[in-house]
Amino acid sequence: MSIENRTAPTVLVPQDRFLGSLYGRNIRAVIARGLKATWGTNWSIMVSGFVEPVLYLVAMGIGLGALVGAVSGPGGQEMEYANFIAPALLAVSAMNGAVYDSTMNVFFKLHYSRLYEGMLSTPLGPLDVAMGEIFLALLRGALYATGFTAVMGAMGLITSPWALLMIPAAVVIAFGFASFGMAVTSYMKTFQQLDWVQMIMLPMFLLSATFYPLSVYPEAVQSVIQALPLWHGVELLRQISVGIFSWGTAGHLLYFVVMIVLGLTLTTNRLRALFLK
Amino acid sequence: MTRPESAAQPALERHEVLGLRSPLTPRQTAARARRFGALYYADMWIRRMRGYQGTVLMTAIGTPLVYLLGMGTGLAVLIDGNSNAGFPGGDGSTVSYLVFLGPALVATAALMVSSEENTYTVMGGFKWHRTYYGPNASPISSGQIALGHVLGVTVRILLTTGLYYLFLVLFGAVVQPATGWLMIFTALLAGLAFGMPLLAFSSTLKEDKGQFAMVQRFIVMPLFLFSGTFFPLESLPLAVRWIGWISPLWHSTELGRVLSYGHPEPAAMTAVHLVYLLVLTVGGLVLARRNFTRRLDG
Repeated sequence: MSIENRTAPTVLVPQDRFLGSLYGRNIRAVIARGLKATWGTNWSIMVSGFVEPVLYLVAMGIGLGALVGAVSGPGGQEMEYANFIAPALLAVSAMNGAVYDSTMNVFFKLHYSRLYEGMLSTPLGPLDVAMGEIFLALLRGALYATGFTAVMGAMGLITSPWALLMIPAAVVIAFGFASFGMAVTSYMKTFQQLDWVQMIMLPMFLLSATFYPLSVYPEAVQSVIQALPLWHGVELLRQISVGIFSWGTAGHLLYFVVMIVLGLTLTTNRLRALFLK
Repeated sequence: MTRPESAAQPALERHEVLGLRSPLTPRQTAARARRFGALYYADMWIRRMRGYQGTVLMTAIGTPLVYLLGMGTGLAVLIDGNSNAGFPGGDGSTVSYLVFLGPALVATAALMVSSEENTYTVMGGFKWHRTYYGPNASPISSGQIALGHVLGVTVRILLTTGLYYLFLVLFGAVVQPATGWLMIFTALLAGLAFGMPLLAFSSTLKEDKGQFAMVQRFIVMPLFLFSGTFFPLESLPLAVRWIGWISPLWHSTELGRVLSYGHPEPAAMTAVHLVYLLVLTVGGLVLARRNFTRRLDG
């Protein structure tokens, strides 16, 4: 055709900007769409999501607490069983919420409703989509964490003002799991593969020193558990809940910072590979 | 005996050459379907289940292992070490936490399988995959389809509870194996007593607007946690203890405990457990069959 068309292509993406090809500086559009969609369809399911950890807290705290008695918590101090498991249950709930949001929901949008294809045909980039989705998951996580902490307060399980910091810490934990979950989802081809996610989360939930101190395990098992992300989340929240900190606290936080950076990098690359080939 | 070959006779049919039974006439096939329709449908259900056999096996093997390791050995260290905790067994003896927990875990597994297969699978049958409508166009009746579905679920539950029981034996969590194996079936009863009313409910739904998520969150979860699964029901205050009384899971678990280690209990109470579970199962099944008939034939 005409020579002008071949020699002067229109550049739509500002490639001279940092991350210009990946990031359209419009995360808020993804967030606004997500909020609107949630409110239109299933807000009652969303809101009731915090019920599950509360049920665990009531059942295990009272019922199992009667059998177990006192347990040694952070810094070796004795604590009531309900106080011991409450922060652990919050960490589990942060993990579950983030993983469900970033696997099931994302998988559906990726393969069935093809939502992201639509988004990426606008000036939005894969990083906008990833960050927007993760922000929504975190918002939900923050909502649940606040509800759960309020229930803990009502049950008289809060003994230190530091406990309020559990809410932002739970969001950090959720961030770690969500950023990784989305990357993992991008490799999935069938619905059945989602069941494997379940089969990784259940052992983590039951074995990560959630219901009993790590010391009941033999040494070799302990180091395996300590490599798992949920154990770091549980320990982090448990230390915050009583306000006893150590270098370990910083270590747990660092674990999640690394997880977030790695997960985000992987997710963005995967979304680019899937859509912007 | 061989037939005399002659040019006048028509060529042999393939099944005759192979010495097989002659195929049924359409009329005979229909009569057979009318008689064994439920089994035919169950057969199809089980074949469909093989499409997700990886998941079935994973839940049937992975879940027991994780629970037995996590709760049965980890938590047991704490509980057995605590002098306040003791679980009465037969003849004034006490049993360990692992033994106490075993029957509850088997019954829970049955309940979980049942709650999955009597919700989304049913919606699949009526709406998403429409698996009920093909058989319903054949001489198989809608009541037989409902029954066939239940038989299929029963097979999956038995697979799960049977494997679970084997794991319990391997972990040394059964004191009386002579009667203990019967918990495979009392656990099945928990699955059916909960699953049949749920099936009746699911078969009325036209659309999943989150009802199944609500059932999971507000019925299955509380039943799991408040049915004396991880601790005796008596540890809970009366305000929540009633959840256990109406829960099929608690009734089945108590039966399993009697069978597994001779949990002391008056015989009348054992009868109450059994009758309650059977009433829920049969009542739910009757309702479910009625709903299937209304929806498929109406």
